[in-house]
Amino acid sequence: MKKILSISAALGLCLAATGAYAAPADLAAAADKVAKVCQNCHGPNGDSTSATFPRLNGQQAGYIAAQLKKFRDHSRNDPHAMAYMWGMASQLDDNGITGIADYLAAQKPTQPQTGGTLAAEGKAIYMNGVEAHNVPPCAACHGDHGEGMGEFPRLAGQHADYLKKQLEDFRALVRTNDIMHTNTKDMTDREIESVVSWLANE
Amino acid sequence: MFLRPGRRDAFSILCAGLFGLAMLAGSADRAQAVPSFARQTGLACEACHTVFPQLTPFGRVFKASGYTLSNTSKVQDVDRMKHYLMTLSDVPPISVMGVASTSSANKASDANSSKTSTDFPQQLSIFYAGAIADNVGGFLQVTYEGQSGGFGMDNADIRFADVATLYNHSVIYGISLNNNPTVQDLWNSTPAWGQPFLGSPTMAGPAAAARIEGAMAQAVAGVSAYAFVDQSLYGEVGVYRSALQGASVSNIGGGTPPTDVITGVAPYWRFAYEYDWGQQSLELGTFGLQAALHNPTTIAGGSFAQSLQSGPTDRFTDIGIDTQYQYIDDDNQVTATARAIRENQRLDASFAQTLSDNPSNRIDTMNATLSYFWRRKLGATIGLFNVDGSTDVTYFGSPNGKPNSSWGNVEVDYLPWLNVKLGLQYTAYTKFNGASNNYDGNGRNASDNNMIFGYVWFAY
Repeated sequence: MKKILSISAALGLCLAATGAYAAPADLAAAADKVAKVCQNCHGPNGDSTSATFPRLNGQQAGYIAAQLKKFRDHSRNDPHAMAYMWGMASQLDDNGITGIADYLAAQKPTQPQTGGTLAAEGKAIYMNGVEAHNVPPCAACHGDHGEGMGEFPRLAGQHADYLKKQLEDFRALVRTNDIMHTNTKDMTDREIESVVSWLANE
Repeated sequence: MFLRPGRRDAFSILCAGLFGLAMLAGSADRAQAVPSFARQTGLACEACHTVFPQLTPFGRVFKASGYTLSNTSKVQDVDRMKHYLMTLSDVPPISVMGVASTSSANKASDANSSKTSTDFPQQLSIFYAGAIADNVGGFLQVTYEGQSGGFGMDNADIRFADVATLYNHSVIYGISLNNNPTVQDLWNSTPAWGQPFLGSPTMAGPAAAARIEGAMAQAVAGVSAYAFVDQSLYGEVGVYRSALQGASVSNIGGGTPPTDVITGVAPYWRFAYEYDWGQQSLELGTFGLQAALHNPTTIAGGSFAQSLQSGPTDRFTDIGIDTQYQYIDDDNQVTATARAIRENQRLDASFAQTLSDNPSNRIDTMNATLSYFWRRKLGATIGLFNVDGSTDVTYFGSPNGKPNSSWGNVEVDYLPWLNVKLGLQYTAYTKFNGASNNYDGNGRNASDNNMIFGYVWFAY
């Protein structure tokens, strides 16, 4: 009997646990969504620990919203987008996307380390570009401090491995983006390493 | 699983051992990954697995969250206060998994046996694996085994889970109702989801192992509560009771008495810490349980020397430590695991009935595995395993009284698709049930049990 009671109690607790009805898309609902879903990969309030998943704390709302819509309509089709985000974005509506984007944009961003032996070289590339390799100044779109603007993402404080992979993927057309492919197609590995050293936080 | 020899003859001991080991091999190695999770979440297999069934950090979170993450449209109902009464995915979380294999031992186990075996299917499993309600999900597996020719209950793990934020810390918390200690665990360094994931159904594996290494699988029901803080610090406590399949603890009068029936409850614990950085993760943990078992034993005249109601018990205390390291990027997936378990056996019941020479024994088991996959397509795994313990001729049944075994295996895999795997495995023994040579007193050597095993695995 004790066994039956203990199992019944557990099942009862399980069955009693029904969630509250979802509120309309707003910051409170977005905070709930981030806490229950997004943070599983992107960390608490978007501050992820794994370089597989980008930090989203303090990311530009316009960039997050644009990417979520691209995941939803499958127009962004790099391998990680397909493996992870196509499914995660499939049921989001525009209000939900706006709420999530605004909520994450309002979180305190991670600061860049701007360290390492290549960081000074990276800063020069970031601010001035590399004319010989058709690399324009990154700061022109991403801001003097890598803070981003609108649909141009914040880069400062991002995971080093993540940034490096994105630049390599733009260069190799694994992640499709005409502007970023043009900007990176002649970049050397050292130039990528340098820019990442300036911008990233491990 | 280990033998309880006593007054039985050598043949019955061997048969019981082989049967038990076949059951152990079957129960411990059955489960793999479940495509219904992918359908429910819209996530590719790689989100949760390096290669089945090794979990990634996100896979651990998905499991701790009760298998409930869902990105499908749903049939829903709410009450007047707009609380959900029901949320049903419009895609039933059903999956099928099959294994076909062929294997060949170095030497047949006896003159009446073949050293080769082909099994089609070796096993065929049906899963319900996915969300049941908003915060409730399940992993339920029923398996047909080719060699036994029957369906049976396999691993089961039903969870309630939710997430809260406490003092800026994310806390995933929940309750698991399951039928196999460590089947609810999040790492592949504990027994239920540890290497090897598949083995020959006819492999004559070593007789001795700690209780928590499969001997209680599908024969218990446990409830445990857990919390996973910041996807890093994990704690779980629970209790198990016997929940026998094909037998009942309440009706033993006319038939074969059930064995290894837990007296009261068996407490279970699990604590672990995982540190993630970059594309790497490292886990350190401890786990264990303590179970006092009744074993009614038939004596001359047909009455029971003990009953399930009273009498001494054999008490087993398993204390394990484990670690797991992972490196995962798009091209390379590395998982290394290691664990050690000490089992202290206080044999009040067995010793009183002269079924053991000692009032207490111990078993130490250890294993270490390393797997590497390239682009989740080609991989190799090596494993080293060891069992050591007290000397007890009557209890362990080997001529020298030792339960000791040492072996290793190597496996190469090819996955043309993530849900189809072709594997070739070789297992070699240097010590088996106490000795390297003539371990059974009839001239059989440990290496006679060496086994080559090829299989095809699929899940859909």
